[in-house]
Amino acid sequence: MRMLILLIAAAALPGQEAEVRNPRTSLADVAAGAKTFRSHCSPCHGLNGEGGRGPNLAAGRFYHGSSDADLLRNISTGIPGTEMPALFYNADRIWQIVAYIRSLSAAPAAPVGDPARGKALFSAKGCPQCHRVRGEGGRLGPDLTTIGESRAPAYLRQSLLDPDAVVLPPYWVVRFRDDSGRAHEGFLLNEDTYTVQFLDFQSRLHSMEKSGLQDYRVEKKSRMPSFRGALSDAALQDLVAYLSSLRSPGGSR
Amino acid sequence: MIIRCALLAGVLGLSTLSAQVTFERLLHAAEDNANWLTYSGGYRGWRYSSLEQVRRENAGRLRIKWVYQMATTQMVETTPLVIDGVMYVSEPPSNVVALDAATGRRYWRYQRSLPDRINVCCGQVNRGVAVLGDRVFVGTVDAHLVALDARTGAVLWDRAVADYRTGHAITVAPLAVKDMIVCGISGGEYGIRGFLDAYEAATGKRRWRFWTIPEPGQPGSQTWSGNAWKTGGGPTWVTGSYDAAQNLIIWGTGNPSPDWNGDSRPGDNLYTDSAIALDADTGKLNWYYQFVPHDVHDWDAVQVPVLVDDEWQGRPRKLVYWAHRNAFYYVLDRETGKFLFGKPFATQTWARGLEADGRPIRLPNIDPTPEGTYLWPGVQGATNWYSPSYNPLTKLFYLAVWENRSVYRKGEQEYSPGNRYIGSVPLIDLPEDPGHGAIRALNPKTGERVWEYRLQTKPWAGVLSTGGKLVFGGSDEGYLFALDAETGREVWRQNLGGIIRANPITYLNHGRQAIAIAAGNAIFTFELGE
Repeated sequence: MRMLILLIAAAALPGQEAEVRNPRTSLADVAAGAKTFRSHCSPCHGLNGEGGRGPNLAAGRFYHGSSDADLLRNISTGIPGTEMPALFYNADRIWQIVAYIRSLSAAPAAPVGDPARGKALFSAKGCPQCHRVRGEGGRLGPDLTTIGESRAPAYLRQSLLDPDAVVLPPYWVVRFRDDSGRAHEGFLLNEDTYTVQFLDFQSRLHSMEKSGLQDYRVEKKSRMPSFRGALSDAALQDLVAYLSSLRSPGGSR
Repeated sequence: MIIRCALLAGVLGLSTLSAQVTFERLLHAAEDNANWLTYSGGYRGWRYSSLEQVRRENAGRLRIKWVYQMATTQMVETTPLVIDGVMYVSEPPSNVVALDAATGRRYWRYQRSLPDRINVCCGQVNRGVAVLGDRVFVGTVDAHLVALDARTGAVLWDRAVADYRTGHAITVAPLAVKDMIVCGISGGEYGIRGFLDAYEAATGKRRWRFWTIPEPGQPGSQTWSGNAWKTGGGPTWVTGSYDAAQNLIIWGTGNPSPDWNGDSRPGDNLYTDSAIALDADTGKLNWYYQFVPHDVHDWDAVQVPVLVDDEWQGRPRKLVYWAHRNAFYYVLDRETGKFLFGKPFATQTWARGLEADGRPIRLPNIDPTPEGTYLWPGVQGATNWYSPSYNPLTKLFYLAVWENRSVYRKGEQEYSPGNRYIGSVPLIDLPEDPGHGAIRALNPKTGERVWEYRLQTKPWAGVLSTGGKLVFGGSDEGYLFALDAETGREVWRQNLGGIIRANPITYLNHGRQAIAIAAGNAIFTFELGE
């Protein structure tokens, strides 16, 4: 019975796609694919596929299908309704790009720590005051519910030790005084020539005219404390292991 | 009843007659302030109107008159034309609508069927149409030029200009000159061999073609080597100007291909990044001036040439004013193409200055590298395709400016038809260092800045100046604003809720001055409220 269901499922797939495997996977192919990737793909997906305007391609999960056939199709013909354009190369050349993209997520460095101990540390160190995991926690830092999918362990470790290394724009802090001299500060959510929108540290939204504001400045520094010296290396590994384990329960979106 | 019929016939007769956009009428387009007859409002490329109903004192009363929403998700870069009460607007990718200029209601729509695969580097956009006689002309992203009946939108002829499968596309607004439609081509990111064409408006037959990249044996071919000329770029994607007295079409050319790696094309790479002046009847080159020899930064000369007759160092002279993507403002002699003057109008870190003949004196270490080279201006330039304006009352030159830098990277790439041929990809925008924008007024004789209106973000909208001594401009933030043309002081602004990537125009709607501009996916028009 189980066999039968599998056979039916297989028959329901487009036959040729079910069989398609990348024929170009040598190291030379990966290198050639990297070259093409750098020329054509990196402006949106990042120099090393880490993502930017387009999604991270180094996590091994893809929004529009993760099979070799899916990748070949999406690169060859583009993805309708998105900014992903078609790339008019022959299939061999596209397979090399696929090989390169696969290489980015082929051997993710598995974190060596203990996720359970890391989870306990996460609570003990007060992280949930600002960070949310599955609806629990504050909103003054990034939601970490699926952080293990989008960030590699090395990145997570760096963020813990050196929070200022990468601070994304939603966490930039704007500070100024209004025309009555009162000081304001908060996360810079948006601004244009004439107005500024921000979330203060009591989680209240503000929108103000810029004219009349004094000492207006935007600081691209993290509000998170560094854990350098505050955690043993083993504890740090546990925390990274816990964060890496945070992933969405379902398959690819 | 008889009287009424006669009146009606008279009105119809009049409108039929006046709907004929003759070449004679186009020659005087700039003085015909009731209409907006060409992309830049006249052959001299001034984007200026003598209308003065809207002035600094009353511009605060500008109110939205009507809005026309387009059914498109593409970026809207169109400049509308307004002719005898009808507004002709191109909708991206390559559609055209005729609207009642008083209400925004549609008369007709031409919708082009396009192939699945279109190669346009930077969006399937269109910057506008040309009108000649009773015909509307539009270029398409599948590289056709199409003539439409101005009354119905019916296709009168449809001609392939080039093969879209090899990266050719048309996004430029054509220019009607004499009995011809002059039309440029896009594809500088696909290794095309660029050209500028002229077609008979009546038949679609090609009258001439000027190749912007000379073939071996032709003058200028010594600035190329090997077969690089075949894929040398030099597109012509922004509408040029026409010097009627000299019968010269003056047009800008784009970057050489590949953009950021010049190894395969040693030499100056004529006539890329140049101003070219062509005999309107034959398409033969009269003069040229190359702003950036051997460009490796994608600094196209795709700006509207501003043609001004004025005194230069004590004697009357025919001049071209040109603020280039490379951050230098230039004055050229319009009879010879000779460089007269140049000076930076924005931050730049690539040239020590210009030689006596206008050739840039490059600083060391400015070329793209695999690791990346930081340089001002950024890849999108200190200005770009969006139009400048010249106002004969203030005698100032206005333009939208970017103050930012990019990381220029170099990679390896071989040519393959229909694929991008750019030689790696720069970091165009640096999130941590986005720069800012401005509207600036320059003294065109000295290049000195007279005033600046600073913007938080970098604008993709052109400027219009008027007899009411106003400068209209727009921003990525979605604001349309009016500035005092003499001081830069803001006198009015309106948030339109969508990025403005287009040029403003002005005209008369039943005797009342109107302003129009595309923002988001819509055309907005404004008139003075009570």
